[in-house]
Amino acid sequence: MSEARLVQGNEACARGALAAGCTFYGGYPITPSSEIAEHMVRLLPDAGGVFVQMEDEIASLAAVIGASLAGSKAMTATSGPGFSLMQEHIGFATMAEVPCVVVDVMRGGPSTGLPTSPSQGDVMQARWGTHGDHPAIVLAPSSVGEVFDLTVRAFNLAERFRTPVILIYDEVIGHTRESVRLPDQVEIIDRVRPAPDSVDFRPKAAGPNGVPPLPAFGDGHRFHVTGLSHDERGFPTDDGAVAGALLSRIHSKVADHEDEISAAETFMLDDAEVAFFAYGIVGRSAREAVLRVREAGIKAGLIRPTTLWPFPGRQVAVAAKQVDKVIVAEMNLGQLIGEVERAAAGQAEVVGHLRADGEPITPSELVGAVTAAGGGN
Amino acid sequence: MSRNEIRIAGAGGQGVVTAGRILAEAAILSGSNATHNQVYGPQSRGGASRSDVVIAGDEIGFPLADDIDLLVALSGEAFARYRPEVAAGGRVIVDSRCAPEAGDEVTSDFAVVDTARAVSGGQLVTGVVALGVLQAYAGLVDADALSDAVARRVPAKHREMNLEALRAGMELVNGAPA
Repeated sequence: MSEARLVQGNEACARGALAAGCTFYGGYPITPSSEIAEHMVRLLPDAGGVFVQMEDEIASLAAVIGASLAGSKAMTATSGPGFSLMQEHIGFATMAEVPCVVVDVMRGGPSTGLPTSPSQGDVMQARWGTHGDHPAIVLAPSSVGEVFDLTVRAFNLAERFRTPVILIYDEVIGHTRESVRLPDQVEIIDRVRPAPDSVDFRPKAAGPNGVPPLPAFGDGHRFHVTGLSHDERGFPTDDGAVAGALLSRIHSKVADHEDEISAAETFMLDDAEVAFFAYGIVGRSAREAVLRVREAGIKAGLIRPTTLWPFPGRQVAVAAKQVDKVIVAEMNLGQLIGEVERAAAGQAEVVGHLRADGEPITPSELVGAVTAAGGGN
Repeated sequence: MSRNEIRIAGAGGQGVVTAGRILAEAAILSGSNATHNQVYGPQSRGGASRSDVVIAGDEIGFPLADDIDLLVALSGEAFARYRPEVAAGGRVIVDSRCAPEAGDEVTSDFAVVDTARAVSGGQLVTGVVALGVLQAYAGLVDADALSDAVARRVPAKHREMNLEALRAGMELVNGAPA
């Protein structure tokens, strides 16, 4: 561990990427994500990597996908408007099964919106922004230290499952500086590559866990990459059975490991009568609110997902059987609350504390929300 | 040290974000835990700007100011906007140009903006003068750690000017040495 120093969330993201082995960054700067690019442009060359500022966000993710196919661990970072432009290529990376990490630091939208203010308005875009049926892995940190850890995890999941992974956090998490000790060493997972001398190489034939080994261009294997439905040889086909099987396999890579990928931290939930569901900076507000209302004798607890997708529905369902009420606090007009309602399945009352005016939800506000909701009653 | 929430607020260009960052770094150098957050508008100059610093002896849960213990307001707009958010028992430092006329017992005013102008010829070191005032007024961090943090954070060619600004800020509270 290095000594404790004041580190910004966006810097922790860049340092986590480097620790995970990232050697390529292609991006276009946008508030409030720009510090990730600023750190990468300074740090990547010394780490033997390449930084390219592209002409826009469409090209940025295209460059990342190309770099990944050439064998690099690759990433980009953006905010809402750029994230919208990246959706097409997120779908391409999903279909072509190209590992990469996309970071979205959320600001107020839609459109240019509130460029320097926080929001959590992109959590559904992260799930469904690209078209067609597709899995999504979306991670959501609540602190500077967790930004580092989940950036590493995002790379590891991307490499393991040959899929784009999205790291999403609000502007407050991106711009907050905290005193942290960043680890010198982290656990790293690298993509499985085919044996160099493998004959009859089929680039899209599933290996263990349904994931095909991925060679790097230049390794010697020749392979075709396409966003069209394709067979195990990687060439386009309109055979419905083959197309359906491909989509099922891509879906199953994530669905079959949902329990392992999805994660949520619980806090003081054991005897709770009312539970918050909150992520990002609001997870920090809710934790503080739990401590304050408990001093007033209200038994509150917290479910704080660190994986938004796959949605940690099992943890919500378990909590809903125990508490009377779940308060979903998010900086949007109601996005994950629908998922919470679905998971709670009527076992607990689900109410929203929603805010989308560019200001973070504070602990005081949430203390008020619990009190107004009559505690757990 | 129990939790202290400090908000430094003013206009873009006054160095409000840098001042907050220096204060948090000084707190860490003093052996405390600290967080820093910055809020600014879309413009690179002008517009409202603020920095929240939380200093505590142990782990910091919510990293922003929720009940402000110390507000440092460097513009009239910042004073009007954040004065109502100061906690009971909290205190306010405001630039003399935008001080309330009377009747606000928790507010003290100091000539921060004018002093910064005297030191730098402009508004560049306003935030650092404010840090000097804050240090002499509340002593939240170790004085040497604060000088050290200023020297580390500002560009080398402006180091002496910023250390002078810090001293000038402290003298606004303590008076000039005889």
